[in-house]
Amino acid sequence: MTVFKGFLTITKRNLRMVFLYIIIFLAISLLTQKMLGTQGAVSFKQERLNIAVLDRDGGRLAEGLTEYLSVYHNIKDIPDDESILQDRLFYREIYYIVTIPEDFENKVLHGAQTLPVTKVPGSTSGFYVDQQINTFINSVRVMTDGGFSLTDAVEKVKEYSQETPDVTMIDKNGHGGVMPGHAFMYQYMPYIIISILCYTLGYIMIEFNKPDVRKRMRCSAVSDRTLNTQLFLGYTVVGFAVWCICTIMPVFVYGRQFLTDANLPFYLMNSFVLTIVSLTLAFFSGSLLKSEELISAVVNVLSLGMSFLCGVFVSMEILGKGVLTVAHFLPVYWYEVSNNLLAGNKSLSPAQMTEFFTGLGIQLLFAAALFGAALVFRKNRAQTEG
Amino acid sequence: MIHIDNLVKRYGTLVALDHLSLDIKEGEIFGLLGPNGSGKTTAINCLLSLLKYDKGTITIFGKEMHPDSYDIKQNIGVVMQNVAVFEQMSVWENIDYFCGLYIKDKEKRRELVEEAIRFTGLQDFKKMRPKKLSGGLLRRLNIACGIVHKPKLIIMDEPTVAVDPQSRNRILEGILELNRQGSTIIYTSHYMEEVEQICSRIAIIDHGQVLSIGTTEELKSMIKTGETITIEAVALSEDKLAQIRRLPHVFDISYEEQILKIRLSSAKHNLVRILNYMQEHDIAFGRVFSELPTLNDVFLEITGKELRD
Repeated sequence: MTVFKGFLTITKRNLRMVFLYIIIFLAISLLTQKMLGTQGAVSFKQERLNIAVLDRDGGRLAEGLTEYLSVYHNIKDIPDDESILQDRLFYREIYYIVTIPEDFENKVLHGAQTLPVTKVPGSTSGFYVDQQINTFINSVRVMTDGGFSLTDAVEKVKEYSQETPDVTMIDKNGHGGVMPGHAFMYQYMPYIIISILCYTLGYIMIEFNKPDVRKRMRCSAVSDRTLNTQLFLGYTVVGFAVWCICTIMPVFVYGRQFLTDANLPFYLMNSFVLTIVSLTLAFFSGSLLKSEELISAVVNVLSLGMSFLCGVFVSMEILGKGVLTVAHFLPVYWYEVSNNLLAGNKSLSPAQMTEFFTGLGIQLLFAAALFGAALVFRKNRAQTEG
Repeated sequence: MIHIDNLVKRYGTLVALDHLSLDIKEGEIFGLLGPNGSGKTTAINCLLSLLKYDKGTITIFGKEMHPDSYDIKQNIGVVMQNVAVFEQMSVWENIDYFCGLYIKDKEKRRELVEEAIRFTGLQDFKKMRPKKLSGGLLRRLNIACGIVHKPKLIIMDEPTVAVDPQSRNRILEGILELNRQGSTIIYTSHYMEEVEQICSRIAIIDHGQVLSIGTTEELKSMIKTGETITIEAVALSEDKLAQIRRLPHVFDISYEEQILKIRLSSAKHNLVRILNYMQEHDIAFGRVFSELPTLNDVFLEITGKELRD
């Protein structure tokens, strides 16, 4: 076990750096997830926009639309002058201009013409008001088609708009439907574990990657297989220690909430498998990279890249289809899929259980592929280097 | 002990080893002498199975050498050209680590490490990290890591490169001591004085071929030059130079910047004969040197170029 002991001796020499990285990454992720975690629960607030309505019709339907929009927004009284309106829009004094044409009812409600509007192109505010106008017109259309008079239909739609629905989140996950804090922490774990393991093990491996040291070891009575096995055993010890620290952290931060979560064993399983993947990734990059600068650059690209693509920093629901398709080819994606299952459900159904273990299996396949690739690389390098 | 037969190693179109054959006997200090790029290190790398070769066979301790011949490797120690140690381990830890690649028993290993430290004179530096050691001490550490497990065969690839004269002498004395203790040593260098000083047999190689092989005396006797006489002489005419060239045993002369260099074949009283001629012909001369042939002369005569070209 000489190589293994040597690995641990060098790790011991680098303990200060290992702890420094652990503290830095844990602090960053704790702060970030604290901020985002709180926002997620209470951040929705209905915004009132300043908008202008140019009523060139003056009929009941037009009045109704103006009154309906005034429930949600501030209607600004602005002269019907194109240049003035454009100036106000440009300086964001108003965000949206609705022009109600003459004969509004026939042209828009019963006809195929759309309501002319001016808005900030591609803006969320524009989309927001669009949706409200569509809701109003469609609702009135449905009611008049159903036999209501226009006046009654407008009144009814206005009446309904005043009502505030009570929303009760279904408590699917035992935390009132809200994502628990420790789930956020586990969502961030890939970034922490990949960064810490790839950085620290990469630095340790610089010593073992020196061509002359490697040459001397290859001249010795220790086979390549024994050498690689003992090195990976060293990796495993460091990886297990980092996993333990990362597992203890939620206990300190979230205490009982975390310890009483029925999915606790699954969280541990998922993060443990992720640690194995990270170890093989670190073994691969550690075999490949020879300088501190390279390690720093490559590890940043790997950890940040995978985190952004696979839903570590941003929830998967927000990610685009294309991004998610690419993410399928990265192990962290499957970790996040499993983590989302645990965060969203109090207990897993048999189908969800299958999905969860499929995620773990795919992660393990990635680990096996990375480990194999690292071994092949190390063997080829040994043959070509001499 | 070692038999290398018709070894060929190519790097693309470059032939690094061209049908190299060598036999090294047990108990020898065998020198591989050649200029930089002559194929010494390639030969060593093939010998250790660090490099795949295109043709030929290598037999060590009576067995054919392969990358997985761990029983053979168990009895080989290697001292690399560059210092191959861990920067983050102390002197003791480094030697113990490399010893551990051969010796599993902890107690025996401890004894061997202590012995290697004593042998290389590193007692006062056991706990120091390599970056705190001087160049000479680093080289000694490098040697300690290579010989700590007391191998039967030690391969030393230019172990004295960039070492101060004091450390170099200590290293050379150490090599002789290792040989006295029973190790067979293969020593590569482009410093002919070192090779001449310690090696019992020498192979001169260039362009991956063995040009000549034998003891120092045998190699020197193979060449025409038996003695080189250098004389400071003023204004020698072409006529006089032609007369000197015709003297017995003289086969080559050169005269540049008032330095006359005469190469003679081996014979008695060469110097007396030359000085008599100078006196008889009233040729004024200053300092006179007489040198026996060196390995550089051997190399020069075989290849037509200096060893350190």
